Amino acid sequence: MAAFANQPNASIASADTAVALTEVAGAPAKERAQRWPRALRLHGHEGVLFIVGVVLVWQFISSAIHFSGKYLFPSPLLTVKTLWASLPELLLGTGYSFVILLPSLALAIAFGVVWGLLVGTTPALNRMFSPFARFTSPVPPTIYIPYAIALLPTFRMAAGFVVFIGVFWPVFLNTANGATAVPQHYRDNARILGLRKLEYLRRVAFPATLPHIFSGIGVGMVFAFIMLTVAELFGASNGLGRFVQLYADYADYPRMVAGILYTGVVVWISMEILERIKKRALFWLK
Amino acid sequence: MSSPSTESSGSSSGIEVLRLKFAYQGASVLSDISLHIGEGEFVSLLGPSGCGKTTLLRLLAGLDSPGAGTIFHGGEQIQGPSLERGVVFQNYSLFPWLTLSQNIELALSKSHQQHDESWRRKHASDYLDRVGLKDSAAQYPSLLSGGMQQRGAIARALALGSPVLLMDEPFGALDPVNRAKLQDLLLDVWASTRKTIVFVTHDVEEALYLADRVVMLGSSPGRIIQEITIPFERPRSRHIFQSRGFVELSERIDGLFREDVLQRIESESVPVREAI
Repeated sequence: MAAFANQPNASIASADTAVALTEVAGAPAKERAQRWPRALRLHGHEGVLFIVGVVLVWQFISSAIHFSGKYLFPSPLLTVKTLWASLPELLLGTGYSFVILLPSLALAIAFGVVWGLLVGTTPALNRMFSPFARFTSPVPPTIYIPYAIALLPTFRMAAGFVVFIGVFWPVFLNTANGATAVPQHYRDNARILGLRKLEYLRRVAFPATLPHIFSGIGVGMVFAFIMLTVAELFGASNGLGRFVQLYADYADYPRMVAGILYTGVVVWISMEILERIKKRALFWLK
Repeated sequence: MSSPSTESSGSSSGIEVLRLKFAYQGASVLSDISLHIGEGEFVSLLGPSGCGKTTLLRLLAGLDSPGAGTIFHGGEQIQGPSLERGVVFQNYSLFPWLTLSQNIELALSKSHQQHDESWRRKHASDYLDRVGLKDSAAQYPSLLSGGMQQRGAIARALALGSPVLLMDEPFGALDPVNRAKLQDLLLDVWASTRKTIVFVTHDVEEALYLADRVVMLGSSPGRIIQEITIPFERPRSRHIFQSRGFVELSERIDGLFREDVLQRIESESVPVREAI
């Protein structure tokens, strides 16, 4: 039923794409842009058009295999409808997930940054910790999940712990590398001013390392979501990963796909927020 | 910490460089430099790029350690950087994540540790006012022109209260107009504070206009070619650039550098010819 409701929508979109394709084959960008009415211009909208294309392919496949099985491959519209209907449940799940995610994320960033700065600027600590870090950091953090769940008394602690591990290493490694490589002229200036170690860390090494710290946090955030959702697949009673796993068990694939789509949106928004914070914090970078 | 220096009086004041040598990765950068810089003197280290003049300044600052020889300041051997010697770099003297005012306040927090934050903020604006930057106190360095950044760097050096100011081609990246303005600003500052200034440059006219004495450095390895006392009276005006004495002196210095380069080329090319 939903597949048919979808048709008019799709035909409008395909007309759009047809215009786009003839444009690509045409003359240089500027001339092309002038030949078409403003609303139909391709330039600057490539990203949106690609997504439209993906949705079209998705629609095509789902309608082709629609009657062969039971909603194993729900159409885009059905997915969005299901997403809308499940939104309260999903939002609640997000809440549960973030209650675990945010404290672990914050703690891992704090530890990663502080320890990274110390290790990066203190040769003795570097010699002490580096061999351990080199051995431990490459271990894929998902491998800890079953043991963490077995070892720790509650699921929340176990999930929090593995999120911490997933975020800590990228943040620590990036911070330590950045702190070791603070540009010479900043270090010279700090020495000219006679800054003590703590002042140097706070006023010079930390801000100078911020670009590295943010790339560490970027990687860490992605890991955080991976760790959390995987952990929830294993043994949560709530949360985003649990939502997907639950409806997979019930073979309710529209809901499951809606859950995946929703999780994608949540991660995307989180990364956008991080990007905003980064831009504000690094305003001084040219 | 920067309380009026305890050993800045008496015959041992000033900077004494004794048989200084410095090598970097096996290559000799400075060889056998001996130099005296008197208290309150304005000395210019003049030489082509690669002559080790920046290295010499870093050694004076205590940012690097000499391979051989010693440097005394106020009778004490220089072991590392000290608030006794402020430095102005060509770029990058200010931290880009701090506003101009915060940069100065950070310097004040080291030179005037007994005072609180509001005192520092107030005095930071005094120092900025002195270099014509009062209205830019809340600006971040990356938004300022090169000339304003160097003004800020001078203000910071003044805020450190160091009796000695070491300047590494501070106006090297500026356009001629700003360069001239900042040279005059520096002369004003020097006239009113009587700090000892060591000024590194590769610009002959700049050296002649500013300094009491020009120390000419030649390269490969860096060594002193000659020291020239500048006879022009102070306060100096830009008119001296056209004066006969100024032109003659700058030609003499150019000639000495040319001679030095020729000598070096000849002495280097001899073994090559023999090898062929």
